[in-house]
Amino acid sequence: MTKKLDPTMVLDVRKLYKEFVLHTVDGRTVEALNGISLTVSAGEHVALAGTSGAGKSSLLKSIYRTYKPSSGEVWFQLLDGTFVDLVGLTDAELATLRGTQIGYVSQFLRAAPRRSTFDIVAKSGMQRGMDISTAREAAAIALKKLNLDEALWDVSASVLSGGEKQRINLAAGTISPPRLLLLDEPVSALDPSNREAALELIDTLTHQGVAVLAVFHDIEAMERLATRVIVLQHGVVSYEGSPQQTLAKLAGVAR
Amino acid sequence: MSPIITPEWVLKVDGLGKVFGPFTDESIAKTGSDRGTSKDSTTGSIVAAWDVSFEVAAGEALGVVGESGSGKSTVMRCIAGDQSTSVGSVHLRNIDGGNTNILHMSASTRRQLRIDQIAVVYQDPAEGLDLRVTAGGNIAAPLTAAGLRNFGAIRHRASELLSRTEVPLNRMDDVVRSFSGGMRQRVQLAKALANRPPIVLLDEPTTGLDASVAAGVLDLIRGLLEEFGLAAVVVSHDFSVIEMLTTRCIVMNHGRVVESALTDQLLEDPHHPYSQKLVSAARS
Amino acid sequence: MTTLLSQLLDETVGDTSDVPFALLDEYSKREIRRAILTAVAVPGYQVPFGSREMPVARGWGSGGLQVTLGVVGPLDTIKVIDQGDDQGVNAVNLRRLIVSSTGIPETTVAAESTIVQTRHRIPEDGLDTEHILVLQVPVPEPLRGVERDMRELARMHAEADYSKMWVSLYEDKVRNGVITQSTGYPCLVNGRYVIATTPIPRWDIPKLDNAPFLSLFGAGREKRIYAVPPHTKVEPLTFDDVPFEVEQTPGATCFRCTSSSSFLVEIPGAVSRWVCSDTDWCERHEGGLK
Repeated sequence: MTKKLDPTMVLDVRKLYKEFVLHTVDGRTVEALNGISLTVSAGEHVALAGTSGAGKSSLLKSIYRTYKPSSGEVWFQLLDGTFVDLVGLTDAELATLRGTQIGYVSQFLRAAPRRSTFDIVAKSGMQRGMDISTAREAAAIALKKLNLDEALWDVSASVLSGGEKQRINLAAGTISPPRLLLLDEPVSALDPSNREAALELIDTLTHQGVAVLAVFHDIEAMERLATRVIVLQHGVVSYEGSPQQTLAKLAGVAR
Repeated sequence: MSPIITPEWVLKVDGLGKVFGPFTDESIAKTGSDRGTSKDSTTGSIVAAWDVSFEVAAGEALGVVGESGSGKSTVMRCIAGDQSTSVGSVHLRNIDGGNTNILHMSASTRRQLRIDQIAVVYQDPAEGLDLRVTAGGNIAAPLTAAGLRNFGAIRHRASELLSRTEVPLNRMDDVVRSFSGGMRQRVQLAKALANRPPIVLLDEPTTGLDASVAAGVLDLIRGLLEEFGLAAVVVSHDFSVIEMLTTRCIVMNHGRVVESALTDQLLEDPHHPYSQKLVSAARS
Repeated sequence: MTTLLSQLLDETVGDTSDVPFALLDEYSKREIRRAILTAVAVPGYQVPFGSREMPVARGWGSGGLQVTLGVVGPLDTIKVIDQGDDQGVNAVNLRRLIVSSTGIPETTVAAESTIVQTRHRIPEDGLDTEHILVLQVPVPEPLRGVERDMRELARMHAEADYSKMWVSLYEDKVRNGVITQSTGYPCLVNGRYVIATTPIPRWDIPKLDNAPFLSLFGAGREKRIYAVPPHTKVEPLTFDDVPFEVEQTPGATCFRCTSSSSFLVEIPGAVSRWVCSDTDWCERHEGGLK
């Protein structure tokens, strides 16, 4: 009997499996996710924790459909309240959602070599449905919030430092608050002050009602932002609780 | 009825097939990706493409990936009208609201479509340009074909397009033969956009160009696709091109579509054995 | 049936003492007339025809001659000019040939003629609704300079795809600041076909537009006939913002009749002198006669 979908949930992942069949290596199978179920509501910041290889990034990618799940359901609540299973959507439908309601920020900036910083961020806004002048205004605000100097706005993103690129990524991913925001180590290359600005920005989004599912390597960020922590181990959920509870539990575990 | 409203298609290809030579159902069954060949051993016919279907919306770029012989260029040429098609249909939103199969139109009507409905950027710029004519003159061709008769307006529009494609304006009156490969490709892009077509087909747009030159041209193409809201089909064997320009793509092998996916998904989680082979080869 | 026809042809050819009216046998005349009718029905379209062997060499007006011989009747009066001159060597010979095979009267005054055969000029005045102007054409294909493939040429005319022509006009203007085509300027007839206006000077082009007379163009070597019916639009190909200009030599006047309103040609010499190209017009205006 399928559990009814809870209208307070923005994301409802049910028994998500992901295995890779490697045809190029004699058809070997590699399992990444072994039946994960979790939920995220609007305004919740759920942090994923676990050792590397536990499946954190794979989970985010499987939700975003960069990985095609082997089985399971990923229920997502649209702005109008209806639920759709991301697993079953067509490529075109998913592409549309990605542009508008689901945001994904990773630690890597994938941008055209000569695109300017400002253009990347403004373009993201336009993709979310903003008209060009609103997008440009929002881009300016987002960049300022992340302490990106105006002098860098016209510069090609490819010549910037890792930290600057990460902030551009974040600005582009958050310019117009999406319904669901997936974050994969978005501040790993930032120095303390810039990191602070970034975390503040993410915090604001949660307060604005964005549902956030994030992977952070650093405990402080997790402590500060997360309303709930889910620990993954070998592709399954091994523990779930508040940040304090989780940290206490993990206290003696080697990382 | 999906609750998600996706932008409607501007170009729709359905069951497109091209066979060189006589063929039967058996010929089709004996060829394809799982048969490892496009050639029907009995008749000697080549099933260059079979059962190819996809849709492209405005502002969207679809990649067609494959190695040489995969049929990707054949598909492009069939849509462009450079090649006759054996079976299937192609619909354009602008033509009869998308209800007419343009493959059934006369050759001369298809040629009319090339003026302002479908633009093609060829791998070899010499195929899309007249090398003996100046850069401005090459752009004057589609403009006059569309009925523009004002010299000043032709000059103005040509220089607009050339500066948008970053061709130095002081070279506007130089014959294209004197241009480098990368510059020729930019002129070809300018010419393709002259009459603001809704659909652009690009065949290996940067293959053959030096890496640094290619990067600039690719970047330009990406910018143009966004700025003009074009529906684009990008044919390439090069994954960096596909990654840069497209959001969705199809993989072709021996004339068949073996996989259809979001571009980032194809690159990180390819499913079909052939796709995996291609992607891992590209990654190494 | 075939035997009868070949007999007939044998009989006609064999008997040289009995030259048919206007040189050509009736079958040839019929074919030329049919080609002319098609040409008139589709203004500007180049109609192929089987060009006969003529007493004048190819490239010297054999096409124009065949057209004239196809349309001439016993009630016509003929005028023949070469570059505007009735006394040019070719004009004289052609006129003699036409008159001797038809017995019709000849004239130098255009208004008194009914058929004017010309090489490279249109008479300054005198042509009316009763006239047929027959032009001798060396190269009937206006697109010859931009395309060499014959199938492609046929397609371009069939689809009215003249973009290659427009590009060459664009290139010309860019390279030279003006469109340099001087004689034989390409024109659009009836808004449909582009024609080669034979090497007539720009000066004469406006006379073709909405003319009261019928213009027939005959190319013997290339085997084509085309036509501009009376009151048909003939527009020289040019850009909206590049006006079509005719030849002008400021200050030049004809040294014989002092006219500056006719087409003048230069007489080479130590001192430059100009004279009317249309000799008949010049004679009628000498001493101020009009």
